[in-house]
Amino acid sequence: MEFFGPVLDGFNVVLDPTNLLYCLLGVAVGMLIGVLPGLGPAATIAILLPMTYGVEPVTAIIMLAGIFYGAQYGGTITSVLLRLPGEASSVVTVFDGYVMAKQGRAGAALGIAAIGSFIGATISIIGLTFLAPLVARFALDFGPPEYTALAMLGILLVATISGGTKIKAIIAAAVGLFLATIGRDGFTGAERFTFGNLSLADGIDFVPIAMGLFGVGEILYNLEERHRAATAPVKVSNVWPKGKDIKEASGAIGRGSVLGFFLGILPGGGATIASLASYATEKKTAKDPSRFGKGAIEGVAGPESANNAAATSSFIPLLTLGIPANATMAIIFGALLIQGVTPGPQLINNDPQLFWGVVNSMYIGNILLLIMSIPLIGIFVRILRVRAAILAPITALITMLGAYTIRNSMFDVLLVVFFGAIGYLMKKFGFEPGPLVLAFVLGSLLESNLRRSLLVLEGDPMGFFTRPISATLLVLFIVVAVWPIVKGVIDKRKNSSLAASVAEEKLKENA
Amino acid sequence: MKNRMTRRTMLGLTAAGAALALTACGGNVGGGSNESSSFPSGPVTMTVGQAPGGSTDLIARAAAEGMADSLGTSMPVVNKPGANGALATKEVAAMEPDGQNLVLLNASLITITPLAVSEDEAVSLDDLDVLMGLSQDDYVMVASTASGVKNLDDIKNSKKKLSFGTTGVGTGSQLAQELLLAQADIEGTTVPFDSGSPALTAVMGDQVQVSTVQLGEAKPQIDAGAVTPIVVFSKERNEFLPDVPTAIESGYEVPVSQYRAIAAPKGLSDDVKEKLVASIKDATATDTYKSFNEKNLLSAHEISGEEVVSEWTELAATYKKLTEEHGISLTGK
Repeated sequence: MEFFGPVLDGFNVVLDPTNLLYCLLGVAVGMLIGVLPGLGPAATIAILLPMTYGVEPVTAIIMLAGIFYGAQYGGTITSVLLRLPGEASSVVTVFDGYVMAKQGRAGAALGIAAIGSFIGATISIIGLTFLAPLVARFALDFGPPEYTALAMLGILLVATISGGTKIKAIIAAAVGLFLATIGRDGFTGAERFTFGNLSLADGIDFVPIAMGLFGVGEILYNLEERHRAATAPVKVSNVWPKGKDIKEASGAIGRGSVLGFFLGILPGGGATIASLASYATEKKTAKDPSRFGKGAIEGVAGPESANNAAATSSFIPLLTLGIPANATMAIIFGALLIQGVTPGPQLINNDPQLFWGVVNSMYIGNILLLIMSIPLIGIFVRILRVRAAILAPITALITMLGAYTIRNSMFDVLLVVFFGAIGYLMKKFGFEPGPLVLAFVLGSLLESNLRRSLLVLEGDPMGFFTRPISATLLVLFIVVAVWPIVKGVIDKRKNSSLAASVAEEKLKENA
Repeated sequence: MKNRMTRRTMLGLTAAGAALALTACGGNVGGGSNESSSFPSGPVTMTVGQAPGGSTDLIARAAAEGMADSLGTSMPVVNKPGANGALATKEVAAMEPDGQNLVLLNASLITITPLAVSEDEAVSLDDLDVLMGLSQDDYVMVASTASGVKNLDDIKNSKKKLSFGTTGVGTGSQLAQELLLAQADIEGTTVPFDSGSPALTAVMGDQVQVSTVQLGEAKPQIDAGAVTPIVVFSKERNEFLPDVPTAIESGYEVPVSQYRAIAAPKGLSDDVKEKLVASIKDATATDTYKSFNEKNLLSAHEISGEEVVSEWTELAATYKKLTEEHGISLTGK
């Protein structure tokens, strides 16, 4: 009872009409900006911050939090329908989501993503309610060596999950790793591959690369296709996932939610690695892995559950330790300070109303998002009926606008065009953009943490194996890397022994 | 039928998009020809070289709010992050000096960054008219509780080699820490992080034992007892941490703080300059702005533009001299 008292009080806070209204406002704004790639939740919250000065702290944070997790729902829509992943954590959704849309199953993909997102987020909130103080420490135990091991594992997964040939995936990933090195070296201040251009000093942002390779590349390729053969417009049937779809996806949703909850606690990159790990898990455990990349519903359900669960659990370090896990959390941190509330270990005791009010508002916010998603999906899938001649320029406009809003720079718009051309060529020669983009995101995580680890460990690489978490992750890395080879050998043996026994049988029969 | 419906919906969407784009640009209402008498002739843009949500951005927004009221026009804040703010500053410096475009300056860009980057990347105050200084933001060195380090002597006498986190290359955090380590003859490994938050988190988890970060970021953790404050690097004790000694009173010459000021392209007419300075003074006098400073642990440092130029020029020379004296390189070479 002692524990549940404040929790239930928190519901009283949320059910206050003003708070409910702000929660609705937050998730609605979040969903809208999620649809526009580029204008991320961080920038939106920063711009709307002054609006919250006049309201109660708990009301303000309920709204700002709503913008953040609402944006995760919105981001799925463009990934599936237009092949535009607005954030690194929704890149893997594109693999099967966009294919499903082309097969006329956009409704099923978006529906399952909404359900998965809802379940993932809810499981994560329950985790947040009961486990927050216990798991918060996890975020502190992750030092540079642990992040290095995690990034290595992530990059290995990138190479294994791609649908195309493995060698092409590895080439694309290598290019991604190279692109991640552009910009000012964070350890020596030296310029790398910037050609004296200040716009490249901070490196390239994720958005121009993703928008160019996925979005513009696809448009260009489709335009060429249109001249060859008239493609029939996509039939949009079954606007809602069928019972069979939900059954197929339920395991993926469950696994994705748990992965997302734990990885989301890690500051920096947690959500991306969670979605990646979820996709890899589904592909490895599937009876028929070849379905992946060709419209497997688990390939949408798992990662979407994972990135929403991760978005929710990224509140744990903020609310329990006072550590912002990503750029958006940093701004919410600032918003709390402006309101005179200090996020940190004392928050739950000093200000239980605020803590539980915000946590419980997420239950309500996610229900609101699910309710809003249902009619919106029906409207959004109609986009696919729009002729390519009209849809293509609109998509191009969204990508350019998205890239521009990142830092109000025309340079980034030019980058989209450049990467659009690269994306077109890649598609023409059978390279997938996914491995490139994901390796790019993980590359900078790997490089800076590897160098930081070696500084902390004084140049001794054995240090990676004497720390329990990094050792575990590295063992996992080796297992994932070696397993396909071992499996290949075992399969061969089985086949040859099978062949041998068949031959024996035949001999006996003949005899 | 259905097709037409869709088309109408899409048309509507496009129209809405166009409307949005127009609003975003903001029409220059009542633009006049005689610029000095009609200033401001439309919205005054404040460019910030840092991402939205950081302390620099928040300061710009707090100041812009009051200035907009005083000038009687809107004052949008535009973020153009890149190269520590050099990108935004160079862009604004090249604009027409009509007072319609301002930039928020970080002192570190002028005083410290040149020590870490090549000459053609460095920004000079010569291309700008500095209008007024705003505030001072102090750095504090904190230690992890697990390390057991309580003060500077503990660090000096530590038997274990310690690692020291910074918020990045070419920052005040790095300069202050390196100067202190060199002068106190402390051997340790310096580990640059991407910004303040990961550097602080690393101390909390004892991944590094000591980090130097901005006070605003560290204060909640200091209050919670999650990290131990060692020294602040301001000239005088910080009003928000009166019990923590400065490096200077401990006998080391490390006068490093972050300062912020508002500037315009070089060549403002006196008229316009006067109006702008008056509006900054109005903005900094409001209670909202004062309480903003307090909540963000910023000490007001509202000096004139001329004073800013001489102070920052002097600091740049001091830092250059000190780094040369102690053989410190911010680039690790």
